[in-house]
Amino acid sequence: MKIVIMAWRNLLRQKRRTLITLSALIVGLCGVVVFQGYITSLMRNFRDSTIRSGIGHLQIAQAPGYYQDGEFNPYAYALANADSLQAGLKAMPEVHAVFPSTGFTSIAGEGDKSVTLLVKGYPAERMYFSSSSRRETPPADRFELGALVEGSAPAPQEHDRLVLGETAARILGAKPGSVVTLMAVLPNGGLNGRDFTVSGIYHSPGRDKIFAFTDYDTAVDFTGITAPPVLHVLARSVNAAGGVESRLPRGLAVRTWHDLATYYVQVNTMFSGFLSVIRAIILLVTLFIMANTMNRIVRERMREWGTLRAMGTKKGQILLVVVLEGCFQGIVGAAIGIVIGFGVSALINAAGGVPFTAGGQRVAVRLIIDAGSVWWNVIPAALFAAAASFLPGLRAVRLSPSQCLRQL
Amino acid sequence: MSLIMVRNVHKHYTLDKADAPALIDVSLEVSPGERVCLMGPSGSGKSTLLNLIGCIDSPTSGAVVIDGEDTKGMGDARLSEFRNRRMGFIFQSFNLIPVLSVFENVEYPLLLQKMPAQKRRARVQELLARVGLSDMSRRSPENLSGGQRQRVAIARALVGKPLLVIADEPTASLDHATGSGVMELMMEMNRSEGSTLVFSTHDASVSRYAGRIVTMIDGRITEDRRAA
Repeated sequence: MKIVIMAWRNLLRQKRRTLITLSALIVGLCGVVVFQGYITSLMRNFRDSTIRSGIGHLQIAQAPGYYQDGEFNPYAYALANADSLQAGLKAMPEVHAVFPSTGFTSIAGEGDKSVTLLVKGYPAERMYFSSSSRRETPPADRFELGALVEGSAPAPQEHDRLVLGETAARILGAKPGSVVTLMAVLPNGGLNGRDFTVSGIYHSPGRDKIFAFTDYDTAVDFTGITAPPVLHVLARSVNAAGGVESRLPRGLAVRTWHDLATYYVQVNTMFSGFLSVIRAIILLVTLFIMANTMNRIVRERMREWGTLRAMGTKKGQILLVVVLEGCFQGIVGAAIGIVIGFGVSALINAAGGVPFTAGGQRVAVRLIIDAGSVWWNVIPAALFAAAASFLPGLRAVRLSPSQCLRQL
Repeated sequence: MSLIMVRNVHKHYTLDKADAPALIDVSLEVSPGERVCLMGPSGSGKSTLLNLIGCIDSPTSGAVVIDGEDTKGMGDARLSEFRNRRMGFIFQSFNLIPVLSVFENVEYPLLLQKMPAQKRRARVQELLARVGLSDMSRRSPENLSGGQRQRVAIARALVGKPLLVIADEPTASLDHATGSGVMELMMEMNRSEGSTLVFSTHDASVSRYAGRIVTMIDGRITEDRRAA
């Protein structure tokens, strides 16, 4: 116990030198905390928008093959007992909404122009198109499919309506009210065609040339499927989705948002990698600075080590005093850096957040102050600092007590 | 039986690749309860001999036997425990641990002995009372005078009831009057604790506290006599 007390008091012995030594760690970790708060906020928004862009927290299909080729070829993947499953899911308190979807591939034509479309059918009351002029928070029980630039989404009682993407509409020369003919091949080889009225035109970069949306009932009627191929679950939170999944009947092919949001996972992995590299660089710089300082400290205190050894302190205990002092330096430096980082984040948030342009709209990203991230910064800092003290500590015990006592 | 047996000890240091003998064929026996003063000029080998007797250094050749145990074969852990249980050290520069209070400095050897807290506190308070520093137990060593620091060092050296107390020039950093006071205290404490005392000095007035005076010159014992 006295070893720990001695290590702690040694840390406070020369406060100015300790602070100078820790300045790299403090400044670095402050930067990491702010950057991490920014990235976490961005990624959380990205995650939520990915979940609401048509994935949901969970998807439930009859067979795993659905996730390979079933989204726009629903005929082979009818979900058995879909109604009772849907009713069971609706009764779960963690579930915000549960609804089916289907899709089909078609050729859309207007006049002499045509374009290939992937048409998704969701219940009309679950489709949400944001305003292109202002940023809105979408309702939690709907999919946000894009920003409406013209017209409107299909109302619940309206059928044979189509929301076309901006690029596809431009190719076809379609506007709200235009009639577009969709043709799709049915499972029996027959060709089905139907006229759809364009109710609205949406903008979504990268999607609006290919994807179009209609209401679920129209999609079912057009394709002639007898059961939905998939159910989407919107849970009350990301964490709640796990509880829902665990209570689903066995034998179903269930995918979480994490399984399906491959782009999100890639981006998240990339940013996590950035953060880890930055953190590693900061810790390495700290390691070298601390090793240098601890070397000096060990040399200055040689007489103390000699005295302690003469009184019967074992080599390992001396080494522990030095390593613990380093460890405490790491903990204190990391704690100060994190507290300052949280303070800076709070100040940035109070000033309105960090401006960020998403989908042509300027938004303010509010930095997330995540207390859970403290350990991810403190523990490595403490370990690196302890490692930086190890070699100087060995120097303290390498000499005999009399050699230590002879040092000036 | 002798408490200390130093037999044909040689100690050589290597300085700038050159061999420098510090002790040459030194033999010495000290009986329990003796008060031995090592005298001699600087560089005569007093401190080196004290270091070997205190087991904080090892001889190049020869044997150092303390309380019947040859210290040569002992590993570091065993030697540490041996020093902690059987020896107390008093240094010229006091060598108190600056991050520990007066009380904690005196308590430290007992902590290494894993003495129960209550017994430990009582023993430390007893020693501090005897060196007249009861009211300064919470102070940092930095806030004490030289004489007070050496009194703390005496209490620390004797708190574990060692068989042997080693004091390397204990008065060299003190003025004459303070040094005499410290020596008086050391003698009185040593008598009451029943320890054997070996100390070094180059001050003839300090040697009068010893019952036996060993004179060293150039790494050899040149005279070993009972004090008058």
